[in-house]
Amino acid sequence: MSEELYLCVFIKEFPAQALLRMRTELRSKPVAVLDGEAPFQQVCSLNKLARALGAAPGMSRAEMESFPAAMLLKRSIAEEQSARSALLECAGSFSPRIEQVSDDHAFLCVMDIAGTEKLFGSPMDVAVRVRQTFASIGISCSATVSANFHAAVCLAKGSTANKAPLIVLAGKERQALAPLPLSVLQLSIELAGTFAQWGVATLGNLAMLTERDLIARLGQEGKRLRLLARGEAPHLFQPIDPVRAMEEQIELDNPVEILDSLLFGVSMMLDQLLARARERILSLSVVIAELGLEAGGVHTRVVRPALPSNDKQLWLKLLHLDWVAHPPPAAVVAMKLKAETGLVGKVQLGLFTPQVPEAGRLDLTLARIHAVVGEERSGSVELKDSHAPDSFRMKDFSVVKPTIHEPIEPKFPAAVMRRLRPPEKISLTLRNRRPHLFYFRGVAYLAESSYGPWRTAGGWWTDGRWSLEAWDVVARAQERSFVERGLPARSGGLLCCCLTHDAVRNLWLLEALYD
Amino acid sequence: MTEQYVELHAASAFSFLEAASLPEALIERAAELDMPSMALMDRNGFYGSARFHTMARKANIRAHVGSEISAIDFGSKLTPAAWLPHQIQPEPARLPLLCASRAGYHNLCQMVTRFKLREQDKDAGAATFADLEEFSNGLICLTGGDEGPLAAALAYQEEAAGYRVVERLIAIFGHGNVYVELQRHQEREQEWRNQAAVRIAQSLQLPLLATNGVRYATSYDREVLDVFAAIRNHTDLDHAGRLLALNTGRHLRSAKEMNSIFSDLPQAVANTWELSERLEFELDDLGYEFPRYPVPDSESMDNFLSKRVDEGVVKRYGAKGNPDLLKKVKKQVERELDLIAKLGFAGYFLIVWDIVQFCKSNGILVQGRGSAANSVVCYALEITAIDPVGMDLLFERFLSESRGEWPDIDLDLPSGEKREQAIQYVYQRYGELGAAMTANVITYRGKSAAREVGKALGFDAETIGRLSSLVGHWEWRGPNDTMAHSFHHAGFDLKHPRIAKYLELSLRLQDLPRHLGQHSGGMVICQGQLNKVVPIERASMPGRTVVQWDKEDCSDLGLIKVDLLGLGMMAVMKDCLELIPRHYGKVEDLAQLPANDPLVYETLQRADTVGMFQVESRAQMASLPRNKPAKFYDIVVQVAIIRPGPIVGGNMNPYMRRRQGKEEVTYLHPSLKPVLERTLGVPLFQEQLLRIAMTVAGFTGAEAEELRRAVGMKRSMARMKELEAKLRKGMTERGLDAPTQDRIVQGISSFALYGFPESHAASFALIAYASAYFKVHYLAAFTCAMLNNQPMGFYMPAVLIKDAQRHGLRVRAIDARHSQWQCALEREQDGTLSFLSLRLGLLYVKGLRRQSALALVEARERDGPFASADDLALRVPCLNPRELKQLASVGALNSLGGVEHRRDALWQVEQAGRPAGPLLRQRDVASDVDVSESPLRQMTTEERLVADYSGTGVTVGRHPMAYRREELRRRSVLSARDLQSHRDGAYVRAAGCVIARQRPGTAKGFIFLSMEDETGIMNVIIGPELYERERVLITRGKFLLVEGKLQNQDTVVHVRADRVLRLPVSEAATRSHDFH
Repeated sequence: MSEELYLCVFIKEFPAQALLRMRTELRSKPVAVLDGEAPFQQVCSLNKLARALGAAPGMSRAEMESFPAAMLLKRSIAEEQSARSALLECAGSFSPRIEQVSDDHAFLCVMDIAGTEKLFGSPMDVAVRVRQTFASIGISCSATVSANFHAAVCLAKGSTANKAPLIVLAGKERQALAPLPLSVLQLSIELAGTFAQWGVATLGNLAMLTERDLIARLGQEGKRLRLLARGEAPHLFQPIDPVRAMEEQIELDNPVEILDSLLFGVSMMLDQLLARARERILSLSVVIAELGLEAGGVHTRVVRPALPSNDKQLWLKLLHLDWVAHPPPAAVVAMKLKAETGLVGKVQLGLFTPQVPEAGRLDLTLARIHAVVGEERSGSVELKDSHAPDSFRMKDFSVVKPTIHEPIEPKFPAAVMRRLRPPEKISLTLRNRRPHLFYFRGVAYLAESSYGPWRTAGGWWTDGRWSLEAWDVVARAQERSFVERGLPARSGGLLCCCLTHDAVRNLWLLEALYD
Repeated sequence: MTEQYVELHAASAFSFLEAASLPEALIERAAELDMPSMALMDRNGFYGSARFHTMARKANIRAHVGSEISAIDFGSKLTPAAWLPHQIQPEPARLPLLCASRAGYHNLCQMVTRFKLREQDKDAGAATFADLEEFSNGLICLTGGDEGPLAAALAYQEEAAGYRVVERLIAIFGHGNVYVELQRHQEREQEWRNQAAVRIAQSLQLPLLATNGVRYATSYDREVLDVFAAIRNHTDLDHAGRLLALNTGRHLRSAKEMNSIFSDLPQAVANTWELSERLEFELDDLGYEFPRYPVPDSESMDNFLSKRVDEGVVKRYGAKGNPDLLKKVKKQVERELDLIAKLGFAGYFLIVWDIVQFCKSNGILVQGRGSAANSVVCYALEITAIDPVGMDLLFERFLSESRGEWPDIDLDLPSGEKREQAIQYVYQRYGELGAAMTANVITYRGKSAAREVGKALGFDAETIGRLSSLVGHWEWRGPNDTMAHSFHHAGFDLKHPRIAKYLELSLRLQDLPRHLGQHSGGMVICQGQLNKVVPIERASMPGRTVVQWDKEDCSDLGLIKVDLLGLGMMAVMKDCLELIPRHYGKVEDLAQLPANDPLVYETLQRADTVGMFQVESRAQMASLPRNKPAKFYDIVVQVAIIRPGPIVGGNMNPYMRRRQGKEEVTYLHPSLKPVLERTLGVPLFQEQLLRIAMTVAGFTGAEAEELRRAVGMKRSMARMKELEAKLRKGMTERGLDAPTQDRIVQGISSFALYGFPESHAASFALIAYASAYFKVHYLAAFTCAMLNNQPMGFYMPAVLIKDAQRHGLRVRAIDARHSQWQCALEREQDGTLSFLSLRLGLLYVKGLRRQSALALVEARERDGPFASADDLALRVPCLNPRELKQLASVGALNSLGGVEHRRDALWQVEQAGRPAGPLLRQRDVASDVDVSESPLRQMTTEERLVADYSGTGVTVGRHPMAYRREELRRRSVLSARDLQSHRDGAYVRAAGCVIARQRPGTAKGFIFLSMEDETGIMNVIIGPELYERERVLITRGKFLLVEGKLQNQDTVVHVRADRVLRLPVSEAATRSHDFH
């Protein structure tokens, strides 16, 4: 028996199979999976029954709707990911060495099963058991075994799911590969064209060409393809990391409401996580805290510092601040910490470079600010390129090299204004289509003069259409009783303000006060 | 005071992507708003002014003329302040200038021409201070809106800077000619600038002028402007940001609205009215003068023309020895010359004569077409080749006294270099500023609108491709042919708001101008400087300049043009005339072809006309056996009869029946017998329409021509009614009863629009006869010339080759040892027999660059034949691997040493073409003597066919259908030849390769397929219902099997399909010619 032995599992129509895994009731119906944004969704995967109806990949939603029997599902990357994890976990129970070579629409993994004979039996037995295991979680696949990695992959791609596993003995690869079409090699368009011109349609045709001839014509790529076609291509196995869940979980004896008590438990869990990360020369980059609540449900918070860190005190402080800002709504009965890892942060200090604040401190400060004002209200402001009012967004702080501008600025008359955030709703009456009387914070104001309207309108092609009319108004406060009785106004304080009329929502707002 | 306001600052969609409404729409809206006059100022020119003027005249509105001129020395126009993010590309500030007088208009035209021609790039150019100063006379200057220099100066500098800008304008244009412009689009910053502008105006004592800086007719059109802004800046609406309009304020506003907006500055509105009164100039006062022909001092142009005509008459008619005809000719010449002298057109005829003389002396084939062939003067001057007196053609169709318009002479020239030579002669003769091409306005059509709107809405490339491919382009528009239907059919949900908006915008963009191209051949020539009459700018083609108006605009404003049109068949004729003496040892002269060659008529009667000019289409082929042309005039009729006019007018079938003796020849009225006798009582030509009106209603020639034009113009309903009343009155006076009158009126209105003039048909018939003559007598030369002048005609090259092969021509495949760039003739020896064969040229190898092919030919001719594929690759280094592979794939290397078959060649060139330095390559070739045999198997017949069609679009081997004939015969599928012998009404099955699809507008939704097999071409008729059922198969299928009833009448054979099936014959990428 050869030293190497690979079992390749190939799962076609993976997006559809991943969805149907959890929806057993749909397996007997024609199902198509749509990918893309509305209204341009297209079929990316479908089951056999849908194919039999006449559906095909690339069809639009409207085209699919002409098949009333077909069920249309939206592609779920999350479910595909969980299916993938489940499959890898299953595969992991047969071999610790697994290499994944999946593409967007198919799942393909290769297991190194050399030496597993005593555990699981002959290669055929392993293949059958793998297929059975996969079938038990609702996935059908094709499986092939070969001493050559690439031969196993090509054969799996070329075979169908309902056929018995194919076992190719060492030395028989070329013969087994010969009838397969060249498409199993995933050639570039150009190479595929060249082979089509040559009349080389199968791996068998390709294998017959001499190495010298192919190198002369296609270079080293020709040699590689020939070896692949003959089942002789070497492969450096690149096993995926064993699926390591950076997770720690604790069930609390009693419901806990005090944050400090929770932090005690968190401290122990962090110790574990940090130790595992250090072992792999990694740092924690994200910690997701899931707090099981007494009232049911889970309170989930995600803490993500600017740089990955293994500083336990920093993590504790960040978690503490986050929980202060977003406390769990009920007593906590369980805690689960999930961590993601990143590379260890490195800072190269120069002899003469000034000391800079530690990154950890900056994160702490930012976390404190976030806790006070809310996450979407801190950072640096960036103007959006739009005429739309208040069109800005917050972005993370970043150090930007200052650019030197010509000191040319518009010579507008400068008036100081205070904008109200959010703008306050007012009730207003118009006279001659101009603001006349309005109530602001319980005081009636009579417009003495008004300038405007200043109009902006846009976004007509989207749901975010806006149409605003702004007025700069000088108004005088009135005594309410006089106004209500329709008596001549008695003057009060002056108010210089900016009023806007939102035509889309039909609202009058006071936007700003001029000093 | 009554509210009055004149919009003096508006731009149309002819400011290309900077405004959103057509000039017509602006005028329409101005009329709705009761605006008495209006000014159009497009960017850097008068692109939209001509049609603005024409439309305004109809709407009784005064159209003022002006332009927004980019002025480089005034700095850039308003852009966001430098400290703001998202900057935009700076552009020069634009100065709005209005033409107060003709001098001002001439100056502005010259200024635009000056700075446009200064640049090499088509769209670039801006005026300098020097330009403005030189051409300022007669112009009124506004300080501009947001795009103007004052706004930019005020925004970024002090008010004093704005002050200086206005002072500069006063220095250039004079104090009385500068207006401080105010626009109020309800923007804060703009109002601040306005206040500063008012202060400047007061201190400099300048008048204020209110405008709205109009960019679209109604506020709704702002959406189109936003889409244009996205297109112009190569972005989409989501990312266009502040490039889009701030609000919807730049539409045409009523006087009431403007008075309300400017209630604090009423004088600014009142001044619009005053300024409008000052603007005297309108476009009907262009001052255009057609060039005078330089004649000797002692002679007038009339005199000179008369002498040239006399010489021509002697040359043309002297040899005929027919004194009666000569007498008639002289009388007609006298009449025509009198009219020409009276109208002052002698210069025009002499100029066209001069161009024709140039062509003749430089070996360029030239022939006049159109109504010019009605003139004996044109015939005598050798402008046309048809004898109008001999054929009794009506001169009034060409020229009449009362029409008040210039004659129109179109010259056909061989397309390509020769035509360019003639065009350059005109440039050289009248100078760069004396002649230019007319423009061709490229507008957004279905596909382009769909694509651009898709991009603006941010759709991805694939979706845009899918959406725009749905826009149908068949001529016939059935009830289901809407864009909405196509979208639904292709699986797009129209209820989705984004798709619905997409569809709506695509439709709104239709017909809006996208950019300016050049007309295929129209040239405008001017006596003084053409650049005074209309701005001239560079065309994208080197050495060409173009005016800013298209041919309709030029015609509306009385600019005369000469059309130097490229006609592919003229190039074929020219090539034939060169090939025939070289390979057949005979000399042919187009003017001396045998008049009644029996073989030509026999071939025409058989409808064996693939490749022949004007008589090769499916519809022509279907009518030829019924018409059975036996003399030249029958060809004239044949050319004219397959036209929408005679077909819609229901004249084609009566003519054919009468021609076959199946129907009696009758006349609408006995008095019309002389008019309609030649066409068996059926009116077929425009001249007959004129003569009918002259005969039955006593119209003069000019009135009759006016009647014809009125019928053709949809908008002249009032005039049409008047003329019809006059026609009926005349007929009543001559005793025609009411039913006869109705028939005559109906007859006139049905075909006036789309009918041919007899003279034009005769000019085309001459070429048709010549092409038929060359084809039947010199098939090799004719086919060679046809293949070298593609694309042209009705059929793809593959069909021309198969047709030639069926007629016995031996066509040789492309061969690196023998082929030239173009197709060529070779003399072959077969035993004692010597015959000509056609060698396909390298131009048919797809993807082979011309320079590589020429290098190959040169290397072969210089150093002898190529010994092997390696030798070829070594000696022609500019052949890249892709080209070498393509040559090998189409079999062009099969004859080289060491090459056994195509795959063998592919095997070799794959090695020879790999990138290696020349030194190493030589070593390789030297050492590679023991070239082992290719391990690749030979291509199968099917593979060769696929390679032929995908690599060259043609095959010289058997027709793809021939390989399946046995099997098809077993399935009772008939060939094209078999169909001929089946009886009318039989139910048949036939199959072939689709070579042409047609859905004519006159055929009520029927589709005509031409299908070819190895025996010939068959015609299939598809009804609208079958089309709806099998839409995809019928529009895309390459090989089809049809079942249906055979129509075999008068040897014209059609299959009326009941069923269409896909026929799996070959994967070869055959192509059909689909007509829309």
